[in-house]
Amino acid sequence: MAPTSASAAGRRPFGRGTWRFAGLSVAAASLLLMAVAGLSTPSFLTVGNGLVIVRAASMTGIVAVAMSFVTLSGNLFALSASALGAFLAVVFALVTAAAGLGAGLGAVLVVAVAAGALQGVAVNLTGNPIIATLAFGAVFRGLASVLSGNGVLRINDAAATWIGTARPLGIPTQSWAFVILAALAWLTVRKTSLGRRILLSGANREAAVASGLRVAAVTGTALAILSVGAAIVAVFTVCQFSEARANLFNGYDFDYIAAVLVGGIALRGGQGSPLQAALGAVLIALLENLMLLNGFSAGLRMTIVGAVVVGATSAFHLLQDKT
Amino acid sequence: MNRLDPRRDLAVRFAFMLLVYAAFALKLPAYYSVAGIASLLDGAFLTGIIALGVGLTMIAGEMDLSVGSMAALAGIVSIKLAAIGIIPAICLTALLAALVGALQGWCIAWLRINSLIFTVGTLIAFRGLALLLSGEQTANIPLDELESIDFLDVHWGFLSPLSLTLFAVALLLGLLATTTIWCREIFAIGGGRAEARAAGVPTRRPIVLAFALSGGLAGLAGAFLSLEAGSATPLGYEAVLLDAVTACLIGGVALQGGRGSVLGILVGLFTLRFLVSGIASLGAPFWAQSLASGALLITLILAEGGYSAWARRRAFSRRLSVDGSRT
Repeated sequence: MAPTSASAAGRRPFGRGTWRFAGLSVAAASLLLMAVAGLSTPSFLTVGNGLVIVRAASMTGIVAVAMSFVTLSGNLFALSASALGAFLAVVFALVTAAAGLGAGLGAVLVVAVAAGALQGVAVNLTGNPIIATLAFGAVFRGLASVLSGNGVLRINDAAATWIGTARPLGIPTQSWAFVILAALAWLTVRKTSLGRRILLSGANREAAVASGLRVAAVTGTALAILSVGAAIVAVFTVCQFSEARANLFNGYDFDYIAAVLVGGIALRGGQGSPLQAALGAVLIALLENLMLLNGFSAGLRMTIVGAVVVGATSAFHLLQDKT
Repeated sequence: MNRLDPRRDLAVRFAFMLLVYAAFALKLPAYYSVAGIASLLDGAFLTGIIALGVGLTMIAGEMDLSVGSMAALAGIVSIKLAAIGIIPAICLTALLAALVGALQGWCIAWLRINSLIFTVGTLIAFRGLALLLSGEQTANIPLDELESIDFLDVHWGFLSPLSLTLFAVALLLGLLATTTIWCREIFAIGGGRAEARAAGVPTRRPIVLAFALSGGLAGLAGAFLSLEAGSATPLGYEAVLLDAVTACLIGGVALQGGRGSVLGILVGLFTLRFLVSGIASLGAPFWAQSLASGALLITLILAEGGYSAWARRRAFSRRLSVDGSRT
């Protein structure tokens, strides 16, 4: 990408405290929102509604947590996650219908990793992840249409239905997956060498290259992780409704990105944690749910979410500047 | 990166455009009938107007991702304003959009934030505003006013108000970009922000100007098309960003900023147009269009990225061999 104003300004490095603060402020905002919601909207603080929120947050959250690897590695976002999800959903439905659930899961995983690696090559060559993934998004969506013949693909598999609709201990499988994956992602970033490599590539690319890190491979890995996240959501969705269509997840990219942005991960990479993206997803799900219960129209909801994203991004950005 | 002489570079791209045209004209008689050319030109309006705006922000080393939402919002606004007359409604909407764009540019310059990130937020917000203003429904102009928009549909040979507006905007922008200092600043800050600042180029003004123009042009495209059709949907224009960026990149606008021209963007626009309409007229289904532009964009960025990586490596090894012979 171009010499953006940010890098030209020669910003001072900032400590981990800022990001702890960012995470705390998101958590505080969520609590505040819940308090306001509980007082003003009686139906908000019910177990049923809580499960609705958790389930809504889970599907966005899984991809947002996976997306945070891309952001942390210094590659902003991918705009292809929703289209890739649709493509993987179609692949999963086709293979599952033909060869069973196990084969479907295996095929999705292989295709997801391949798609991530391919996008990694393009992002590395162009240096502009947004444009590269925009192009890949169009291709994935097109491939989903080609493979599905632009129709509805149905699957009929008891195990798949269990994956999609079961509630172990009263909590939907999607939400279990969200919590487990968020914890795994946090462990990966904080405790593994891969996590350190991702953070270093994002924090200072030149230093990463100079210390012999293969930044291109790190970018590819981050995109592959995002693809696996999209694959998990695709599998859950297909299992829940027992069908796949090429227009699945249309327009969801901005939900994923909004969650990462509201979570306050450093957008130049290198600072932050996947848990922030998870929190961001929960915060947005809370906000959406509250607005829905109060009968806000879709337009108003979208405007408010957009305004929150712009506000949060600008605030975190200024915070970085001033510390 | 690409050290080709700009004129030769443009000539190569122009030749490629003619090649694409010729390849399809061989199979499609519509490519050389008056009505066929008229529809090709009209079809280029939306992508063209928006590509000119996005291209300017790309040349400035930034990028306006919110143009599609802006066009949808402008479409709704223009339908609401249709009562004041069609031409005034289009002008007023474009002006309003330019103001919003300028405000967006000012925020980006003042916050020194990455424009990709900021415009992702406004992309969501503008789309929401469009939904809000329209009550989530398609906005239509009243039936008794329908004749008042007929003049937008006339054709003179292969020209129409749509294509004339496109060419007028391109001509005006081309003149502005090559002659005015404000537009030259856009090129300067895209080529090297730190160098431009050191040379005394203000960095805020060109960013505000580039985003005002991209917002205003997106508004113009949305308003014009919505009033021409007599209706606007708040969910429209989602795919236009992809096409606009593709047109810019085919036309030689550098992803890194600093390089590009209005003429180049037009060449890129028609290359894409000839290709996509050609594929559509040969009977490919509707989604094949986005597949084709996506695949084309991937090929382009891979080729450009691969070329510059190769050029870097070659320069490096040449330097090594020079150093080696010296010692």
